[in-house]
Amino acid sequence: MKKSHKIILSIITLGVLFWGSTPLAQAMHIMEGYLPPKYCIIWGVISLPFLAAGWFSIKKTLAEHRRSITILAIAGAFIFVISSLKIPSVTGSCSHMTGTGLGAILFGASSVSILGFIVLIFQAILLAHGGLTTLGANTFSMAIAGPIVSIGIYKLCQALKVNKYVGIFLAAFIGDLFTYCVTSVQLALAYPSAQGGVAASAIKFLTVFAPTQLPLAIVEGLLTVLIIIALETYATTELTDIGFVKEG
Amino acid sequence: MEKWIVLSAMFLLTILVFVVKRRNGRRHGERAHEHRHSFGHKHGGLISIDYLAYSSKIRHWNPTFKVILSVLTIILCIALNNVYVSIVVILAMAYLVIKVGGLALHDYLSVLAIPLAFILISIFAIVIDFSDQPIGIYHLYLGFGYLYTTMAMLKYGVFLMLKVIAAISGLQLMILTTPSSEVISVMKKAHVPKDFIALMNMIYRYIFILLDVFAKMKNSAESRLGYRDFKTSCYTFGGVASNMLVLSLKKAGAYYDAMEARCYDGELMFLEEDKKVEIRLIVPAAVYVLCLLLLWYLTR
Repeated sequence: MKKSHKIILSIITLGVLFWGSTPLAQAMHIMEGYLPPKYCIIWGVISLPFLAAGWFSIKKTLAEHRRSITILAIAGAFIFVISSLKIPSVTGSCSHMTGTGLGAILFGASSVSILGFIVLIFQAILLAHGGLTTLGANTFSMAIAGPIVSIGIYKLCQALKVNKYVGIFLAAFIGDLFTYCVTSVQLALAYPSAQGGVAASAIKFLTVFAPTQLPLAIVEGLLTVLIIIALETYATTELTDIGFVKEG
Repeated sequence: MEKWIVLSAMFLLTILVFVVKRRNGRRHGERAHEHRHSFGHKHGGLISIDYLAYSSKIRHWNPTFKVILSVLTIILCIALNNVYVSIVVILAMAYLVIKVGGLALHDYLSVLAIPLAFILISIFAIVIDFSDQPIGIYHLYLGFGYLYTTMAMLKYGVFLMLKVIAAISGLQLMILTTPSSEVISVMKKAHVPKDFIALMNMIYRYIFILLDVFAKMKNSAESRLGYRDFKTSCYTFGGVASNMLVLSLKKAGAYYDAMEARCYDGELMFLEEDKKVEIRLIVPAAVYVLCLLLLWYLTR
């Protein structure tokens, strides 16, 4: 076989492996049993202060307005449902949003940490996505890191006077990508590569998940913008209630 | 012995892939029937796990017992990290849920196959490595370096896959035999904060309300050609999702009023069936856990 043939063959094989083996594009939940116990505990401990902060913020809200408990619960259910719905996709595969970027923009990062945590528990119990031992790692990537980056980008774009919708798109898009990067790093830390260590392993995980996660992030960004536009058109009063639109 | 394990693992994997393909095939088949049954299976995966849990024959077992057994199994799986333990767990959990719990084998496998894509992709990343020298038993030249794999890495990957499937089986014991409301009541007994439990209970109930609303809106949008191409479906999805949020936020106040009218004072109380912990269950469970530990000790 000629050298050029070999290269072509390699490229084709890789392509088939990537596109053929990914019928489902889901938000990246690390499933049950994948992480060694040490990492389950470490990620749980790292998530704890964020969850505690979220918990106290929710406690404070509830102490002031007991009525807002139903709004919080609806918000949690909304994040769950959004993340479990099949979204339109180009390739005909079955993909899901993470929904946490939208949640962070609408409800604020602190309450999303607790709501995201509950949503992850339900995703494990009702959908068999993710798991109980990996709850800490998943919480950190999806309910803490992603939303914080989303809200950061959103605020940054507001400060820089970027077009609002561009800002929302970037917030959801980059939040999603960041979740995917954090998950890859989490996987790489647990399973470092024999030759190149953690960095090489992270690159491997980033590469194998890229074909599903990149289009997903773009679609998620677009859908988030569409949802916000529709909300602003029809539901200004509700948005004021949850604090998205400032009164005045 | 290890060869046989790898072979049987491959066999299990083939079955799982087959189940997924059949499930997808059925979904496409039904699409051809102009969504005649679409209402029931729209979010099949979601409703069905709770539904299967309610119809399980071992639902009357004490939920605390089931949750502890299941969590203990998962912890043993990942802490012992032993392939024999994993195999025994896979078989034992399948026996409990399918034979004792009376669940159809096909349903059990299709729940097991949900995280399959993730398992395959991530195992793929672990068994393959790159290097600038052609080493290992298989390698593939990519222009800038070699992708290679070794027998030890392949074996490691298969064993890891078995461990993951075993842990998921342990989780399945819980989710396929215990309805979520009972899992929440177990968490309440474990002294999780009261407001957290209240939030979980409410979210659990609202999920089903929202899914119902979504199914109706999606049906009506679909009948107006709202999903005919990618661009339209994006707009429709955005519209439906935001409308769902608006409607539910509007209802949130009404839900609170309804609860208050029924004397809600910060705590939701539900009628719970009193399920006794039976000695005849605890003894076999203890024996099973001891067996796992013994097996691990012997094959260390």
